[in-house]
Amino acid sequence: MQQIINGLSLGSVYALIAVGYSLVYSILLFSNFAHGGFLVVGGYACYYLLTQWGYSVAISMTGALFASGVTAIITERLAYKPIRERTTTTLYLLIASMGVNIVIENLFVVTVGGRIKALPQNTFPTGVFNVAGITLSASDIISLVTAVIFLSLLQIFLNKTRWGLAIRAAACDIRTAGLMGVNVTFLISLVFFVAGVLAAVGGIFLSVRYSLYPQLGSITTKAFIAAVIGGLGSLPGAVVGSLILGLAEMLTAGFISSQMRDLVVYSLLVIMLLIRPAGFFGKAVSEKI
Amino acid sequence: MGGYQEGIVILMCINCIAAMGVSILTGFTGIFTLGHAAYMAVGAYTTAILTVRYGIDWIPAIIAGGLMAILIAWLIGLPTLKLTGDYYAIASIGLGEAIRLILENWQSFTRGARGFPGIEPYTTRETAVIIFIGLAIITFNFLDSRLGRELRASRDDSAAASLMGFNTPHTRMKALLLSAFYCGIAGALLGGYMSFIQPSMFDMMKSTELTAVVVFGGLGSMSGTILGSAAITLIMEYFRDISQYRMLIYGLLLVIIMVFRPEGLLGSREIWDFKGGENK
Repeated sequence: MQQIINGLSLGSVYALIAVGYSLVYSILLFSNFAHGGFLVVGGYACYYLLTQWGYSVAISMTGALFASGVTAIITERLAYKPIRERTTTTLYLLIASMGVNIVIENLFVVTVGGRIKALPQNTFPTGVFNVAGITLSASDIISLVTAVIFLSLLQIFLNKTRWGLAIRAAACDIRTAGLMGVNVTFLISLVFFVAGVLAAVGGIFLSVRYSLYPQLGSITTKAFIAAVIGGLGSLPGAVVGSLILGLAEMLTAGFISSQMRDLVVYSLLVIMLLIRPAGFFGKAVSEKI
Repeated sequence: MGGYQEGIVILMCINCIAAMGVSILTGFTGIFTLGHAAYMAVGAYTTAILTVRYGIDWIPAIIAGGLMAILIAWLIGLPTLKLTGDYYAIASIGLGEAIRLILENWQSFTRGARGFPGIEPYTTRETAVIIFIGLAIITFNFLDSRLGRELRASRDDSAAASLMGFNTPHTRMKALLLSAFYCGIAGALLGGYMSFIQPSMFDMMKSTELTAVVVFGGLGSMSGTILGSAAITLIMEYFRDISQYRMLIYGLLLVIIMVFRPEGLLGSREIWDFKGGENK
């Protein structure tokens, strides 16, 4: 039971990251490997706003989300947009996104150093509850609740607003959506902003749970896997995949050994791809001829 | 030639061999991989264990390393080559990392994350250069052969190729096995050069580097691959003094090339295609 709570809380953090990743995939149909970079930007922004400039927790976090969102937009404008205008091969976008990830990671290595930093202890309440023999830490609960709030907000945004409708239309067919009068350039920026914000939320939680270092973004590999398990481009799929992954990881760590957890994660990915490549909720992609 | 220069030549040969392997798969067959460092690891570990534990001579051991990479690739390829596009790439990340993690956790056999020391330094400048040139000659001839045309046909339009009577699943498998062999040999040579191997040398970063180098040189251009690989190795080695900025420059380079010249250095042409000014 203890492991299940831990797993759900870890899974909810993965979900925040995986949903942003899946959102970008659903529009542009490429795997944005720079997503981990956005997460790191969020983590460091939060760290410096809190410790160097001494802002309150709420302001620091808002600032971090904004910083990460803006980074995502800038990345899209500078790196991806020119490539999209030249070619339709997503392979080039993929490689460029790896490059962006390396750049962001190493910008932090060069400027602030590779050493591990920790968000101040009092960022989140650190209390521990004891309910029916299970220890619940406050940070676990907060990350679960925050994930639920952000994901619900996203759901409302996508389903109730005009821009949400436009995003859903573009996910079906971006070219047609453009012809129907959707401002595709703005729309893509918006999607990247949202994805960046979600990555920053995940980044802040991760830096509280573990610690903050430039390579923290590599954890998004797990979020990619979660998104694939759930079905690339499907948002509910990303959430379900993340929860499964979080649970699998914590249960392995709890009952088998913590060294095996990554192996279990990758085996899950491979098994899923073999049985059902499109994931739980993905639409089967037919090959373009 | 000093020891440092000699090391760079050896590294260039090793990287070029691995990149040629990936180029056969990604550039000529159109299967995008992000896990080929794992085949280097298989080759390196097989050769290291055979030479150190069983006292086998290094030449048969290197060949065994390549063959072991082929075997693993065959086991992996049977189920996964059915996947297309991004899905194969993602599966290859998973499998590549899984192989690395197995090597890291199989303490009794591989000594785990501490690495495997004491490998006989059999990779000299001469061996590396000879093996590289030998493999390069084979590769260029092979790409001009029937099999090479098969690969390109299944890349350009697999539906049409299978209608023309090509067995495209077989072709894809052949390409994978061949590329795994090259990477296995490269890994074995790396082990002999460093005298020490460690699972973390063959992580996802190395895999993406292999693929990035192939794209940098030009998809579908073997001379481009070799040129690109040599150039990247030189840049990475001579910038070692400013190691902090090295990765930053590497990342920027990747982005800039993708933005300004996504088709890579040579596009899909070979270097001698430029002489006559004729486009293939």
